[in-house]
Amino acid sequence: MSDLSVFIVDDDASVRDSLGLLLGLRGYRTAIFADAENFLQALSPDWRGCVLLDIRMPGIDGLALQRRLLEAACSLPVIVITGHGDVESARAAFKAQAVDFLEKPLDQAKLMVAIDEAFAKYQSSSQRREQRSHFAGLLATLTPREREVMELIVRGGHNRDIADELGISPRTVEVHKARVMQKLNVDGVAQLVRYSLGER
Amino acid sequence: MTTASRLRWADALLLIVGYVALDWLSFFHPLHGLYITPWNPAPALALVFMLRYGWKAAVPLAVAVLLAEIWVRSLPAALPASIAIAVMLALGYGAIGGVLRRRIGGLGIFSDRSGMLQWSGIVVAGTLLTSLFFVLSLVGLDLVPAAGWLEAAGRYWIGDGVGILVSMPLLWMLLDERGRVQLLASVKRPDTPGYLLAAAAALWAVFGLGAESDFKYFYLLFLPIIWAAAREGLAGAVLSAAVIQVGIILVVHLQEFSAVSILEIQVVTVVLVLAGFFVGVVVDEQQRISAELRHTLRLAAAGEMAGALAHELNQPITALSAYGSACEELLARGETGDRLKATIKLMVAESYRAAEVVRRLRDFFRTGTTRLEPVALDELLAVAAAPFAEQAARSGVALTVGPMPEGVLLADRPQLEVVLRNLLANAFGAVAERPAGARTVSVSALPEGHDRICISVEDSGSGLSASAAARLFEPFNSTKSSGLGLGLAISRAIAEAHGGNLWAEVGDRGVFRLLLPFEGSPSGV
Repeated sequence: MSDLSVFIVDDDASVRDSLGLLLGLRGYRTAIFADAENFLQALSPDWRGCVLLDIRMPGIDGLALQRRLLEAACSLPVIVITGHGDVESARAAFKAQAVDFLEKPLDQAKLMVAIDEAFAKYQSSSQRREQRSHFAGLLATLTPREREVMELIVRGGHNRDIADELGISPRTVEVHKARVMQKLNVDGVAQLVRYSLGER
Repeated sequence: MTTASRLRWADALLLIVGYVALDWLSFFHPLHGLYITPWNPAPALALVFMLRYGWKAAVPLAVAVLLAEIWVRSLPAALPASIAIAVMLALGYGAIGGVLRRRIGGLGIFSDRSGMLQWSGIVVAGTLLTSLFFVLSLVGLDLVPAAGWLEAAGRYWIGDGVGILVSMPLLWMLLDERGRVQLLASVKRPDTPGYLLAAAAALWAVFGLGAESDFKYFYLLFLPIIWAAAREGLAGAVLSAAVIQVGIILVVHLQEFSAVSILEIQVVTVVLVLAGFFVGVVVDEQQRISAELRHTLRLAAAGEMAGALAHELNQPITALSAYGSACEELLARGETGDRLKATIKLMVAESYRAAEVVRRLRDFFRTGTTRLEPVALDELLAVAAAPFAEQAARSGVALTVGPMPEGVLLADRPQLEVVLRNLLANAFGAVAERPAGARTVSVSALPEGHDRICISVEDSGSGLSASAAARLFEPFNSTKSSGLGLGLAISRAIAEAHGGNLWAEVGDRGVFRLLLPFEGSPSGV
């Protein structure tokens, strides 16, 4: 399996222990926490995977923890589990971008699907993040003039307009443009626009 | 019930005998030797039968009127005329009964204010119409002089109307099984001799002391009837009204009042009696509503219990199914060693846990309704605290029960035991964090006023903040990882169903107070 982990937060010792055991046997890496406070204390940006979160817990409950993770821009997708499912809490969970909302007793097939979905979501988002940080690194290698030219291209300006605006010859614009494409490792204007939009 | 009951021979006979007997009892001061007497309760019986059995009762009623005519009055008119009178009266009462049936229906007639109001309105208007019709027919038959028709109609109206208004609720209740039970319960109440004595005293004051001055103490009669109505509802009002009415009739009969003053007294009496009936109906309604409220609270508690059951069972079932799948996984790998054994052991433990949940919750469902019985206070507290004695010894908690006054609670014993056990379990949980030697839990009781008892469960735990105390009784608000979060919500519902209350006090140690109705009698049960 991958290097992704399932972080289980449930106040019921038997539930978290049994889920930890089962997921462990199925080949997932797991970490278990008895409550939200412990989880928040241990939380690290290096964590990769997803969170399996019980709603009803003493202290900070599952939905509150989910909101906190969202506010802290934590990249771990969340699966909410509850023994007492109602529309209001399901709505709150999904508004806070839960991957799934499962009722106890858990349907294990659904749980596995949800975990795989959460992992896929984590991976695609982390890929995007990597792409973005890669692009940001490339962007830093541009000279100020090349940066200006790039922004005008992205805005949709033609060479002649850009030349007029910057007070340089269209020929010079051509040169800058070629250098931007080369430094950023893109094939054309379309790709450049896509990357730079993703970067914002 | 708007459909009429079946009229059996026994019912018809009861109607005939009862009608003739009432007519015989009330036959005095007759005007023109006819039915026109100042107090005429027989039509009340006729109306009750017409209401219960519909038009089928008209035939025995006509027979009864005719028999009364022959026996009580020695047939003042010729036989054909008497038969015509009997048929006419049966038709008149039948019509009033029919209107009552249609407007109010059968059973609801004396159960709420609107039924009562409509009933009195229909009786007053109906007897006015029938008396006019009847007296005018008598004038036509030359049994009443034409010049005296107005007086005759007025007297007839008052005699009939008062007779019906005063006696019909009593007769209605006597002929109805539920009504008889209510009347009997009312007779057995300790208040009853009190207001009956008060009625006798008031009668003496009105007709003994105040007789010379136009019965200026008449209003004293309001005291016993309002007393009875306020304490025992309509049944009490009906009983005391009957006693007062009979008393008044006896007095005016013995003191040989003139027919005119009897009529005046009767008119005042009907106002008195109706006031009592209305108070009684309002009291009944209020009691019914409070009973419904209790029922609703119980339903709410049961609903919460069902939710709790689902929630609390979900945890072990979740764990069970996950452990089960883990076992499958282990077997699939060919692992049959310690890991499999340990997991199976965990499964067994989880199924015990589920069974424990069911056992604990069964307490709440054990009684379907709140069944009140006298329970001695000391016994209740001892039984509730007994299961904790062992736990107290084991975990070093000093558990004290008392002091408390002697006396009896009217309570659903299993439910109150659940409440007390719940409070004690919370207290034990609260003191567990304290160092050994500083763990005390006490149950005591103090009278609150003269008819309530305040049971306190106190512990030396860390107590409650104001915000925690405010949220404490909300369902699914638990501070314990294994708790229902419901115990206190249900305990409060039970306390309220007993007419009491349950609350926690803010402070640096745990104090729960359970207030319940109490009969502090030194004799005990």
